[in-house]
Amino acid sequence: MLMNRRHALAAMGGAAAAATGLAAPAIANTPLVVGALRLTSHAGSYVALDRGYFADAGLNVELRFFDAAQPMAVAIASGDVDFGITAMTGALISLADRGAVKVIGGALQEEPGITGQKYLVSDAAFQDGVTTPAALAGRRFAISQAGSSFHYMGSKMAKAEGIDLEFIPLQSVGNIISSLRSGQVDGWSIVPHIALALAGSGDVHIVGDVADYIPDYQVTTVFTSSGNAANERAMTESFLSAFSRGVADFNASMVDATEGDAARDEMVRLIHQYVYTDREYEKAAPSIINGAMRLTPNAALNVASLKDQLDWFKAEDLVDQDIAFETVVDSSYVESV
Amino acid sequence: MTEVTMPEKSRAVPFRGGGFRPRPVRFVGLGVFVVLIALVEWGTRAGWISALTLPRPSDVLATFGELYRSGALWEHLSVSLVRLSVGSAIGVSAGVGIGILIGLFSLIRAGLVPLVAALFPIPKIALLPLFVIWFGIDEGSKYALIALGTFTPTVVATYGAVDNVDRTLIRMGQSFGLSWLSIVRKIVLPGAMPGILSGLRISLAIGIILLVAAEMLGATHGVGSYILQAGSLYDLERLFAGVTILSVLGVTVSGLIGLVEKRVLNWRA
Repeated sequence: MLMNRRHALAAMGGAAAAATGLAAPAIANTPLVVGALRLTSHAGSYVALDRGYFADAGLNVELRFFDAAQPMAVAIASGDVDFGITAMTGALISLADRGAVKVIGGALQEEPGITGQKYLVSDAAFQDGVTTPAALAGRRFAISQAGSSFHYMGSKMAKAEGIDLEFIPLQSVGNIISSLRSGQVDGWSIVPHIALALAGSGDVHIVGDVADYIPDYQVTTVFTSSGNAANERAMTESFLSAFSRGVADFNASMVDATEGDAARDEMVRLIHQYVYTDREYEKAAPSIINGAMRLTPNAALNVASLKDQLDWFKAEDLVDQDIAFETVVDSSYVESV
Repeated sequence: MTEVTMPEKSRAVPFRGGGFRPRPVRFVGLGVFVVLIALVEWGTRAGWISALTLPRPSDVLATFGELYRSGALWEHLSVSLVRLSVGSAIGVSAGVGIGILIGLFSLIRAGLVPLVAALFPIPKIALLPLFVIWFGIDEGSKYALIALGTFTPTVVATYGAVDNVDRTLIRMGQSFGLSWLSIVRKIVLPGAMPGILSGLRISLAIGIILLVAAEMLGATHGVGSYILQAGSLYDLERLFAGVTILSVLGVTVSGLIGLVEKRVLNWRA
């Protein structure tokens, strides 16, 4: 592993702590960069940062924002980011195969009974009789890139319904939305807050739930560099425990709503500092509340779902056929469900 | 008639002409490629280039072989070549036509030069979503992108070439009583041809660059979409195999223009 300044500092801090016999925190004030997307599903990191859980664990966290999942995996491999939370993409698996990154925990998940990701169709297709996901047979399904989570969701639905879809890569969510609105593509799947906002405009219709086709889908994972996973155990554990405290707060006030409206509003305000920052609070709040899907407690790994995703990548010939599950996932940090 | 006498001690003057004339030197270009590739192969095998930094050239070759055997190479290449040739044929022919008109007529020059200057610096990729709405997500938007991308540099190169045609030749033609059309056909166009062809090299290279951009939206086949997919999967072997195809395409196009230059410009020799 290459030693950079941050790691050197961490090592010095660790050595100093060990020398003075301090038990906890094992590493004091370790600087960390955590990758995030501006989505409600990244609330675990926001809460842990904002409520000082990272600081409590002796981590000096800086958030770095990305536009898509794939670049985050590359940034972890290059050492610019220490921890990331995003979907298990083809890039992530390829980089894991090259010994650069490891999945160490789970984050966003589908759960029956909680508003989850939706299948959408364009208005033109809807008027043409596409009112169920199965009716998308032979039509154009938008994805950002081959191997993205959209591709996985479309492909799993097509397989379950026994239909064929034509997958159209459009690179970005912005491109997909404009193509869907103008009827250039017929179908798509996306997290609920975007789906509900689009359906509200009338250009797009919701025709199904992703959870019906992929129950217990582990949508996003927590991952880090192989070096951190193998050699920085104390730091990685501190990160996961602080992140899990943030996740627990988020689930309690937003998903289970056990803490009442005041706690929920406070949480929405906290998230609004990072998500939909260009909109006023009143406009952003409904979207943030709609987008509240459960984050897996204690960052537990849903091994069955991750295995299914890895097998799908292999079946689609998007990644090397010989990649073992253990090459991608280090399941020694959190419990598996 | 007086006799010219050479001075007693005359200095021998060596011949100082020549040079400044590129001559073909065989195999040097090939040698540079071979050395670079061998260096990378050695580095990746010895381990001082990690698998994350660069792929092993032999693996890239193997990926390429697989691509060829599975028939996917032709599948990707054929659609890309059609896009490139249709798009750049539209862009280049419109560009040469309008460039010549700008070069010949002051009114057209006054009207169109600012427009071309305004269009040139626009990153055509930025207009891709717009083209999708205008021309549809299928081939139309891809042709349009490549056509617009090759059009502007061709126009600029063409009217520049027409401007650079030797005016004394034109005056000579006029004094010999050639008609306007004859002057254009026999003096202006041949005189502008070197400039137009070297502009074409740049335009077509831009066309190849835009091929990747054009295949960003809605393409499931094509060299560009193959490269983009490999990039998003961080599959370096496929990425480099795809990039190599584009490079070879660039070398081929440049070679073809070289052949055309030899034929069309043989009056220069």
